[in-house]
Amino acid sequence: MSTDDILAIFRGVLETEDLAATDDFFDSGGDSLLATRVLSALARASGEELTMEDFLLAPTPELLAARVGRMVAP
Amino acid sequence: MKVLVVGAGLAGLVAADSLRRAGAAVTVLEARDRVGGRTHGIEVAPGAWADAGAAYLGDRHTELLALLAEHDLKTTPTSTEGASVFELDDSGGGARKRPGRFPPLNAVALGELFDLLADLTGRVDVAAPWLTPGAAVLDDTTAAEWAAANLRHRDARAFFPLFLGEMMAADPADISVLHMAFYLRSGGGLRYLNAFAGGAQEYRVEGGAHQLCERLAAGLDVRLGAVVTAIHQHDAGVRVLTEDGGRHEADRVVAAIPPVLADGVDFAPALPATRSTSRTAPGCAVKVHLVYPEPAWREEGLSGWSVNAAGPLLSTVDDSPAGHRAGVLTGFVTGAEAHRFSSLAPHEQRDAARTQARRLFPNLPEPLAIHVTDWIADPHTRGCYAALFGPGDWLCLGPELTAPHGRVHWAGTETTTEFFGLMEGAIRSGRRVAAEILTPTHA
Repeated sequence: MSTDDILAIFRGVLETEDLAATDDFFDSGGDSLLATRVLSALARASGEELTMEDFLLAPTPELLAARVGRMVAP
Repeated sequence: MKVLVVGAGLAGLVAADSLRRAGAAVTVLEARDRVGGRTHGIEVAPGAWADAGAAYLGDRHTELLALLAEHDLKTTPTSTEGASVFELDDSGGGARKRPGRFPPLNAVALGELFDLLADLTGRVDVAAPWLTPGAAVLDDTTAAEWAAANLRHRDARAFFPLFLGEMMAADPADISVLHMAFYLRSGGGLRYLNAFAGGAQEYRVEGGAHQLCERLAAGLDVRLGAVVTAIHQHDAGVRVLTEDGGRHEADRVVAAIPPVLADGVDFAPALPATRSTSRTAPGCAVKVHLVYPEPAWREEGLSGWSVNAAGPLLSTVDDSPAGHRAGVLTGFVTGAEAHRFSSLAPHEQRDAARTQARRLFPNLPEPLAIHVTDWIADPHTRGCYAALFGPGDWLCLGPELTAPHGRVHWAGTETTTEFFGLMEGAIRSGRRVAAEILTPTHA
């Protein structure tokens, strides 16, 4: 999963194009309900199931991409 | 023009007020000994009020906010700061404290549930749900059947009825998928309807929402204890009969009562179609207020918010009156659980609530009082938040919801496609019906 892939997921769930790779999901109109939809989209695309805690610790597309990358790396 | 308004809830009072301002002679007939309908205040401590009925609002409720301002009523933010308590484990794991509002369930599974619901709400034709592509199938399927077929993860299946209970006081077996999708969309979508901050539960009315109805009624001719039994139209107007033998004449009538109650009135000529069917269910909400000397849970870093699978209080929220010492936890008993709870004796209801509060918040003292408001059993409402449209209802009832029957016009939160089931919807329906009566048609 690239940062851009995750940014596209954020944009879809938050229904806005006005988001950058360093924007915090929870400061951009996201709440826990919408956060679950990011996590389900991530799981569909990458096969990795992150928790809400994972997302809270990595709330931007950039940080989340790094987090998913770490999980799939050997 | 003389207008009779049946029902002194928010919709009826707004309609009456709008018509009176436009110069009509308006009388409001109300079955109860109070105005307010589904808004109702309980005095939990001297001068401190809690909402036994409709309570919450958000920034998108523009008509309600404007009306509150006009009547010098203030809003107060709903208190949500602090950790939540969750009791979702049916294996007896007990109550668990967690920061924030997110339940200790599989987030991906809940995300799949919300993805499916977002897809449904996005597809519904909110202004005319019966015209939604695939409406026949969506209207024919219950939300329970939909969940059984679509929700794979046990956490999603466990959470779904709790979510629908909170959002719309519905048992998934009672409503069609079309009604679920419509309701969630009408109220502003999943996120808005679910959220406190930035959502539909952002504020309460300081001193209680019922005050708005009282202030509207103060400028109107309202007859309490007038149970309307018949609405008979004749060549020159409409005659409305009440249980106590009263006869009222008018040029037009606004029936601002829930669909099931409208079907209990004798109409002549008869209605072309009923307002409800055997599948239309009452909104299943019982509200329980636990009153404490103070909101002591805040000192423990708790918000008062809890979600509980075992019930009877499926969720609790801090509804402590602003500017008073008293602490109030409001417990919501909704959906199928509400039917069970409603059948208990009053002392059994209070015991069950007390036992559960002790389990959720073990450090709290015993409540000073417990108030139970059962909207299902209330003969003058028959269900809260609103009527639940069951399988087949939208296709059958939807097109007729707002269609006048001669001189009889319809209002009420069930007659609006904007904010259906909410105070905002009631107000919008009242404004719509007033405009309908004041605008001459050439039909």
